[in-house]
Amino acid sequence: MTEERRSNYDDILFRMDHIQKSFGGTEVLKDISVSVRAGEVVSIIGPSGSGKSTLLRCATFLETIDAGTICYRDVIAAQNDSSGKAVYAGPADIRKAKKQFGLVFQQFNLFPHFSVLKNIMDAPVSIQKQPKETARAKAMELLRKMGLEDKADAYPKQLSGGQQQRVAIARALAMEPDILFFDEPTSALDPELTGEVLKVIRLLAEEKMTMVIVTHEMPFARAVSNRVIFMDGGVIVEQGDPEKVFGAPEQERTRQFLRNYQQ
Amino acid sequence: MKRILCTILTLACSVVLTACGASSTSSEAVTYGFLDETLGTENYAIGFRLGDEELAETVSAAVKALVKNGTYASIAENYPDIKDYLSLSPEDISDDEIAQPGSGDPNYTFKHGFDLDYPPYSYLNDAGEVGGFDVEMAQAVCEYLGWKYEPVPFNWDFKDAELNAGSCDCIWSGFTKEGREDMYTWGITYSTNTQMIMVASNSGIKTLADLAGKTVGVQISTSAADMLEGDRADLAATFNELKVYETYTVAFNDLKAGAIDAIAIDVTAGSYLIANENKQ
Amino acid sequence: MTLSTMFLTMLPGMLRTIAIFVLTLVFSLPLGMVVMMLRKSRIGIVQILTKIFIAVMRGTPLMLQLLVWYFGPYYLFRMPIGGYRFTAIILGFSLNYAAYFAEIYRAGIEAIPVGQYEAADVLGYSKAQTFFKIILPQVIKTILPAVTNEVITLVKDTSLAFALAYSEVFSIAKQISSSQTSFMPFLIAGVFYFVANYAVAFGMEAVEQMFKYYD
Repeated sequence: MTEERRSNYDDILFRMDHIQKSFGGTEVLKDISVSVRAGEVVSIIGPSGSGKSTLLRCATFLETIDAGTICYRDVIAAQNDSSGKAVYAGPADIRKAKKQFGLVFQQFNLFPHFSVLKNIMDAPVSIQKQPKETARAKAMELLRKMGLEDKADAYPKQLSGGQQQRVAIARALAMEPDILFFDEPTSALDPELTGEVLKVIRLLAEEKMTMVIVTHEMPFARAVSNRVIFMDGGVIVEQGDPEKVFGAPEQERTRQFLRNYQQ
Repeated sequence: MKRILCTILTLACSVVLTACGASSTSSEAVTYGFLDETLGTENYAIGFRLGDEELAETVSAAVKALVKNGTYASIAENYPDIKDYLSLSPEDISDDEIAQPGSGDPNYTFKHGFDLDYPPYSYLNDAGEVGGFDVEMAQAVCEYLGWKYEPVPFNWDFKDAELNAGSCDCIWSGFTKEGREDMYTWGITYSTNTQMIMVASNSGIKTLADLAGKTVGVQISTSAADMLEGDRADLAATFNELKVYETYTVAFNDLKAGAIDAIAIDVTAGSYLIANENKQ
Repeated sequence: MTLSTMFLTMLPGMLRTIAIFVLTLVFSLPLGMVVMMLRKSRIGIVQILTKIFIAVMRGTPLMLQLLVWYFGPYYLFRMPIGGYRFTAIILGFSLNYAAYFAEIYRAGIEAIPVGQYEAADVLGYSKAQTFFKIILPQVIKTILPAVTNEVITLVKDTSLAFALAYSEVFSIAKQISSSQTSFMPFLIAGVFYFVANYAVAFGMEAVEQMFKYYD
């Protein structure tokens, strides 16, 4: 990568190029490229099995790609070797890349044996080596933001799904990531609880948090995103301004998906 | 803790008393004794590893010396139940057969292998210590020769493994020689034992023939059991059942409770059971 | 023999039983962890050998294993085995229980949702931090009831040391019983085992209670 090219991509926080991924012979991601600029909110929609969750799991290194490039700013986490197979960078670079993103899971994945407060402050203390008091103050601030300051000493099992997911968001934010990924953050929630989680994400969008959200909440995606990506069959079928993708989709497949969805 | 023990003790006593009461209704005082006819007789000797002739001879010579100097007889006084069956007497031993006092290697440790479950030859005595006629004799042999004594209690089922592996030097624990003549190098034979039938005085059983159709108890892997399953299988065939027990203690309780009619047992072990019963 | 003499005679046996019990736990609980790790090893041969080890330990009687550990060195290598009795007992018990514990640990670890590993990974926890901070505390909570069962079984299994004529409480009870023609020693032994198991159950319940805080 030349100096000139790099300067052009200065505000690109994350980039995936020509990603290929198969599970036991089934191609799940077919030559997908996505990049995300600072402050952008990108929603990824599509039917189940379209590969959108896999894309997110590849981006966060929970799955390994077969071919393609993954970059976080100037850290190249994976790129193809001469034979066209993806090779991952060494542990030091991977660590550097990991520092730049956070991930919120569908199933929250809070640590059940940690209190809410410890869930949020343990990683800053034991990984980033922040002083306990600093981490605690920041955790409390995040809890206030999530409307959960009275739950600091509770344990995850004592919380509702919506509350747990908000704690999970706070836990991810405590590491101060540049970009936050959401993997269907409301899919495991009862319908009446999705609102409180979406409200928090909306709040983060207003604060210009860079986010990539895999979601089934179409009205929410339309309202909160700068860009919507529609995926189907392991490829990006269509992407662009939410008004355009939702209001006047160019592709028949997109139209069909949205039609089915509205029913 | 003490109260729990007392409660259990009381319960156990009442169970035993009830059992006794039930059997003593038919006759005033039930006693236990042996039939005149015997099942057979065998000899107890000291078994050494095959080829350990020298050790066998040294120990045997020391035993003879203890017979000659009266130690054997005085130890026997402690065991009235088997006294009559100890077969060595000073007259049978000539002076040139006996070991000299202190003639052993003072650095040698004699490892005496025995079953702690075979009263009164080797057992935990009333004081809760390792004792018995064989143990006292082995200790006396070591003292006489100037050896160190090490008791090696073992599990009877694995006596050969213990002996061959060298964790003990001999099997000296009311050890029957008959049928095992070629399996060990044998030291001196010091006791005889007779296998007999023990019955209650009110049982009406007077002869071996009376045992036909009766239930007879025996302890597993004892001489009496071996006989009834071997040479005297013809007799066992007339029984209603030959009941094999883990221990004679349980068999004796069944006899007292009337669950079985007779017990086939070494006369020494049987006398010991009866003597203990009379003490209580 | 008076009751108090009987009790005093059995007391050293009780202490020996407790010694087998405590030493077996001290060795087998961590050893089980090692066996579990070997069992989950990615190296095929290590995994297979560990599987065989576990199958043999669980598939043959513990008494037989004790005999092999004690007599084996002599019969296989002609090594003298005097004075080795207690070592053989602890070795036999520890290896046997390590195999059981390994399988309990494995079940416990496999019961932890993969999401816990993923969350820790994304947050940047190292492998060791993930295991000790996130996974292990949850595993311990999951496996406690199964471990309690094993520990109680161990209290009773200590009596198998009689095969190697180690004078633990049950052997002594048997010996006194035949010399005194009395069942009282077995009653005392029974009370001892019961009290010991009650103490174990009580202790383990306290530990389980400790881990209930996040239910």
